[in-house]
Amino acid sequence: MSKKLTNLEEDLKKNQIEIMLYPSKCDGCESEGFAACVKACESHMSEKYGSKYAGARINIKKKGNKFFPLICHNCDEAPCVDACMPGARYKDLESGWTVTNYKKCVGCWMCVMSCPFGAIERIGKDHFASKCDGCSDEDTPKCVEACKKGALKRIGIKNYSYERRLSVAKKIYGPYIKSISKQY
Amino acid sequence: MKYVIVGNSYAGLSCADAIRRFDKSGEVVIISDENYRAYARPLISYYLEGKTTDETIWYKEDDYYEKNNFDLMLGKKVVSVDTNAKRVVLEDGSAVNYDKLFVGPGGTPFIPPTEGFNPDSPMMGTFTRFDDAKKMEKAAKMSKRKEAIVVGGGLIGLKASEGLRALGLHTTIVELLPRVLGLALDEISGNITSKKLNENGIDTATGETVTKINLDESGNPVSVLLKSGKELPADIVVVGVGVRPNVGFLEGSGVKIDRGIIVDKTMMTSVKDVYAGGDAVVIYDVINKRPNIIAIVPLACEEGRVAGTNMAGVYREYPGGMGLNSVEIYGLPIVTIGLTNPSNETQSVFIFQDDNIYRKLVFDGEVLVGAILLGDISGSGILSAIIRQGLKCLKYKDEFLNGNIYSFVIDNEFEIYNINEGYAIRGDFEDLPEFSRTNWR
Ligand SMILES: Cc1cc2nc3c(=O)[nH]c(=O)nc-3n(C[C@H](O)[C@H](O)[C@H](O)COP(=O)(O)OP(=O)(O)OC[C@H]3O[C@@H](n4cnc5c(N)ncnc54)[C@H](O)[C@@H]3O)c2cc1C
Ligand code: SF4
Ligand code: SF4
Repeated sequence: MSKKLTNLEEDLKKNQIEIMLYPSKCDGCESEGFAACVKACESHMSEKYGSKYAGARINIKKKGNKFFPLICHNCDEAPCVDACMPGARYKDLESGWTVTNYKKCVGCWMCVMSCPFGAIERIGKDHFASKCDGCSDEDTPKCVEACKKGALKRIGIKNYSYERRLSVAKKIYGPYIKSISKQY
Repeated sequence: MKYVIVGNSYAGLSCADAIRRFDKSGEVVIISDENYRAYARPLISYYLEGKTTDETIWYKEDDYYEKNNFDLMLGKKVVSVDTNAKRVVLEDGSAVNYDKLFVGPGGTPFIPPTEGFNPDSPMMGTFTRFDDAKKMEKAAKMSKRKEAIVVGGGLIGLKASEGLRALGLHTTIVELLPRVLGLALDEISGNITSKKLNENGIDTATGETVTKINLDESGNPVSVLLKSGKELPADIVVVGVGVRPNVGFLEGSGVKIDRGIIVDKTMMTSVKDVYAGGDAVVIYDVINKRPNIIAIVPLACEEGRVAGTNMAGVYREYPGGMGLNSVEIYGLPIVTIGLTNPSNETQSVFIFQDDNIYRKLVFDGEVLVGAILLGDISGSGILSAIIRQGLKCLKYKDEFLNGNIYSFVIDNEFEIYNINEGYAIRGDFEDLPEFSRTNWR
C-alpha cells in the first residue's frame, strides 16, 4: 500500500522560484556600507505593504569572516506553519512557498520559537513576525536582482538538483571536475 | 475509503490535510460539537483584547472545507464509538460509519473542587472555547465593581487574565505554585513576569488557592476566600487551571486510555483503524524520555499529520515531541523550551541577565536540554531544533548566552551543506532524506 512520499508532478508544479545561496560568495557588502539585498528587500516590502508590515526580510548574519544571507528556507513541512496559531503562516499550494497573511498575525512568536534556521524576526514595535515569503509573486526576487556578488541566485528544483550534483562531484573529485563538466 | 475525524481543530485539520495529500478522492467527514468552523483556540484571549476579531480568528480560509471536499458536521457531539461495527454514535442517536477514524478531541477544562463554583452562572466559567470568551465579554459589561479572579497561573490562566484586564477589569491571578507559569519558568524569570503583570494591573497571589466563592442570592460571585484567609472582591471568577484529555466518549470502545489516549508510533490507538492526536494523546516526550501529554499547537499539528499520512496508506512514524511555548506579556516576549528546571545533578545551568534580557540554558553533559529566553527571543527556533535533536553544543554556550544563536547555524550550514558550492533553499527530494527539513525537528 505504500506510496512514494513526494509527488513529482506536484513538485514540478511548485518549481517556480527557488533561491539558491552561495554564502561563500557573500561578503556582506562591507565595502559598500550597506547590504544591497537588504536594501532592495526593504524598499520592495514597503512598496508592497506600506508602512505597517514593512522592513527587510533578508538578514546578513556574520561570524568571524563568514557571512550568511539568512532567509526563509521554505521547509517542506514547515515548523512555523505548524506553530502558527491563527494560521497566518501557510503553505501556498500554487507557488509551494511558505507565505504569510500578516493581517492575521497576532505576534505570539510561536513561529520565531519554531523556525530551525532562525529566519523569522520579531518586530516588537509593530507586533508582527516578519519573514521572507520568497517573492513568489515576482519574476525574480528583489534580493537576487540586487546581489552583484553571485551569492543569491534564482533557480528551479531541477536545476538545483543539477547544481547540487555538480557541487558534490566537485567536492569528491576536486580539480578533475572541470574537465568532466566541459564535456557536456 | 471513508475517513471520519472527530475534532475540528489543529490535530483534526492537520490530519485531514495529510489525508488529502495522498488520497484525493476519499470521503472525509469532520465532526465537531462546537458551532463554529475551525477557529484559533489560543486566540480567544486576543479576541477579548481586540487583537483578533470576528474576521481574523478563523484558522483556515473561508472556502477551505469546500475546496478540499471535506464534509463538515458542526454542533454534533459524538457520544460513543463502536469499534466493532466501525461507527461513531452522535448525541441525537444517529450514527456515522467509518473505514478509518481519527479522534482529536482536545481537552476539557479541569476544575478543582471549589465551594461555590458554578459554571452556569453568567459571571463564572472556564476559558478554553470561543463561547467562553464571548461569555466573559458579556460578563465584563455586567460587572459593577470591575473585579475579576482567575484561578490558575499557567498559560490559560495568564491569557484569561490578560483578556479580562483588557476589558477594563482589575484582575487577580490565584496560583498554587510559587510563581506564574510555574512549570515552565524558574524563580528569576517568574519574578520578572509577575512584575510585568503587576505593573499592568494584574495582581498575582502565588502559593495560594481559592477555598470558597461567596455568592449573592442570584448565584453570582461576590468575593473569594483564599487559603491564607484573605478575602478578595470578585464579580467574575474564571477557572483556568489546565485541561484534561476529553476522552469520555471513548469509554467502552476498547481504545486504551491511561490519562490520555495511548498511541503507537504511527499514532494508531490500541484499536485498529482508530487513530488519535492532539491534546488528548500520550506521546513520547523526547526530553524527559517518557510518555507524556504535551498540549501545544505545533505538536497537535505534527501528530495529526502523521496519523493522516498513515490513514491514507503511507507509512510514517512519529518520533515524539517536546514541550515548548511562547507568550508575550505586555511587550515582554517569553520563550521556554524543553527542560527549564534541572531535575538532577548531572545537569548544569548557565544564566545571562541584564536589565531587559534573561537567558537560561540547561545542559545535560554536552547536550542542550532546555532554555528560557526573556526579552530577546531572536534565534530561539535554532535552540528548539538543537534541543529537540539532542545535539551536543556545549562549546556554543557563551555564544548562546550572549545572544549569538545564529553562529550555530552559520557554522553548521557551512559545514553540513558544503556551502562553499551553494545550496538551494528548498531541498530537492532525491539527495536529502525524506521530509528533509523535518529532520531538524
Ligand atoms: C486560552 C488558551 C491559550 C493557549 N495558548 C497556547 C499557546 O500559546 N501555545 C500553544 O501551543 N498552545 C496553546 N494552547 C493550547 C492549544 O489550544 C491546544 O494545544 C490545541 O488547541 C490542541 O488542539 P487539538 O486539535 O488537540 O484540540 P482542540 O483544539 O481542543 O479541539 C478539539 C475539538 O474537538 C471537539 N470535540 C471534543 N470532543 C468531541 C466529541 N465527543 N464530539 C464532537 N466533537 C468533539 C471540541 O469541541 C473541539 O472543537 C492554549 C489553549 C487555550 C485554551
Ligand atoms: S520560516 Fe523557518 S520554519 Fe518557516 S518555512 Fe522558512 S525556514 Fe522553515
Ligand atoms: S507571531 Fe504571527 S506568524 Fe508567528 S506564529 Fe504568531 S501569529 Fe503566526
